[in-house]
Amino acid sequence: MSRIIVVTSGKGGVGKTTTTANLGMALAQRGHKVAVIDADFGLRNLDLLLGLENRIVYTAVEVLAGECRLDQALVRDKRQPNLALLPAAQNRTKDAVTPDQMKKLVGALTKAFHFVLIDCPAGIEMGFQNAITPAREAIVVTTPEVAAVRDADRVVGLLEANDVKRMYLVINRLKPAMVEQDMMMSVKDVQDILAIPLLGVVPDDERVVVSTNRGEPLVLGADSTSLAATAFGNIVRRLEGEKVPFLDLNPPPEDFFSRIRRFFQGRKS
Amino acid sequence: MNSDSSVPNPPSSVAQTIPEPTSVPQVRFKGEGGRLLLLLPSENEITTPATAWADLWQQLKQRLNGGDRFWQPNTAVYLIARDRLLDTRQLQAISEALTEAKLNLKRVYTSRRQTAVAAATGGFSVEQQSPIAHLNPETVGQAIAEPLYIETTVRSGVEIRHPGTVIVLGDVNPGSSIVADGDVLVWGALRGVAQAGASGNSRCIIMALRLDPTQIRIADFVARAPETPPQQYYPEVAYVTPDGIRIISTADFSKDRLELPES
Repeated sequence: MSRIIVVTSGKGGVGKTTTTANLGMALAQRGHKVAVIDADFGLRNLDLLLGLENRIVYTAVEVLAGECRLDQALVRDKRQPNLALLPAAQNRTKDAVTPDQMKKLVGALTKAFHFVLIDCPAGIEMGFQNAITPAREAIVVTTPEVAAVRDADRVVGLLEANDVKRMYLVINRLKPAMVEQDMMMSVKDVQDILAIPLLGVVPDDERVVVSTNRGEPLVLGADSTSLAATAFGNIVRRLEGEKVPFLDLNPPPEDFFSRIRRFFQGRKS
Repeated sequence: MNSDSSVPNPPSSVAQTIPEPTSVPQVRFKGEGGRLLLLLPSENEITTPATAWADLWQQLKQRLNGGDRFWQPNTAVYLIARDRLLDTRQLQAISEALTEAKLNLKRVYTSRRQTAVAAATGGFSVEQQSPIAHLNPETVGQAIAEPLYIETTVRSGVEIRHPGTVIVLGDVNPGSSIVADGDVLVWGALRGVAQAGASGNSRCIIMALRLDPTQIRIADFVARAPETPPQQYYPEVAYVTPDGIRIISTADFSKDRLELPES
């Protein structure tokens, strides 16, 4: 049974597409056959992040119109043959497809792929409906900011109402030093409000920007040992059902006592 | 609509078996005489302009998710659609959602001819009631509705309206609101907007295990959260005094305060 997971957030710019690209690549590296779908019709980005822009010939809209076969539209990654991208049309809007058509497309993909990741557009309108209707699971991405958490909360409610019951939380772009100084929401603050299982915490990392511009997911390139890349790797292992301890993102404690205290806190959870 | 044959003749005894509920601002389940009634808001009672099908559907799913501990499997549900316009597909969707929650849609009561036709076409048992809304004159001193008990996290964007007391087992998150004609009780954290005594009763109260609201309103009184959040939270009660809304620890809130006459 293949898994259909939508990556969504409500708010824009929190890292849905980056997360989709990295999780897709990391899953493929671990031997799964993965299809990533860009559901952001009219504002597609996923192809850029994966560095596959120049290889797109057909898009999902042409498949639905019957102008080409599904496998013609799928772009296979040369660096990682387990990964394929179904691109969105850039010259259409979200109304170009219906939830039922998305369901049909995803249904066809599940025959050949173990994992189908759907990159959801921002907002909660038609594009959101299109993206979540075929999904059975959801990864809700948020940053530790009040606005992002508020929107994520709304999205969780909408997912519940649309029968996507299995939801996981990814907190992106956390700055441990700022949390320490009480200037940023902590992981616990976010979890208190959203109340869904935590899948991973990705620290803020400038190398993400570089990898995005280069079209090379973090987990693939020379930076694959960075903390953010390790966090994405851990998320994938947790998706597979493995119990992986959360990364210690805090800067090393200064004195002996706080180290002892944190040791005991770590044991409790 | 071309055929009348699919619509059963409206029996005259219906009005006695299923009483018209007085006011239903939102989708609501109600147990009555061993039966489970699913009440839909009436078309002209829409408080928010966009209470369209999508909202109705979302409220229904929410109620189904939040109350499943309280009904036995295979309970018969009577859909009181009132003057709601529903098509066959929507009725089918409601029926499927109920089936998924191990409830079965037994019969549809409606006062709209189109809805009755749609229900009959969809193979549902229908009873068409004559609209009797105009027969209900505004009564003075109307009894408050029974409490609405929901077990869920009330998330951003959700609004719960009820002409009685609202009890939430779970958190009320920022960006959501609860509007009750009676009291508001939150067994969890209240972080959104809560309004008690919405129809003007200033003796209503708001209580929460963690009272951290965006805003609270009781009757005509409004209170905001303090600029500096308290160090520690404990269960609190908000009530109206002649000087406005006061908040006090539950431990100090004596019951006889509720009996205080309005000054």
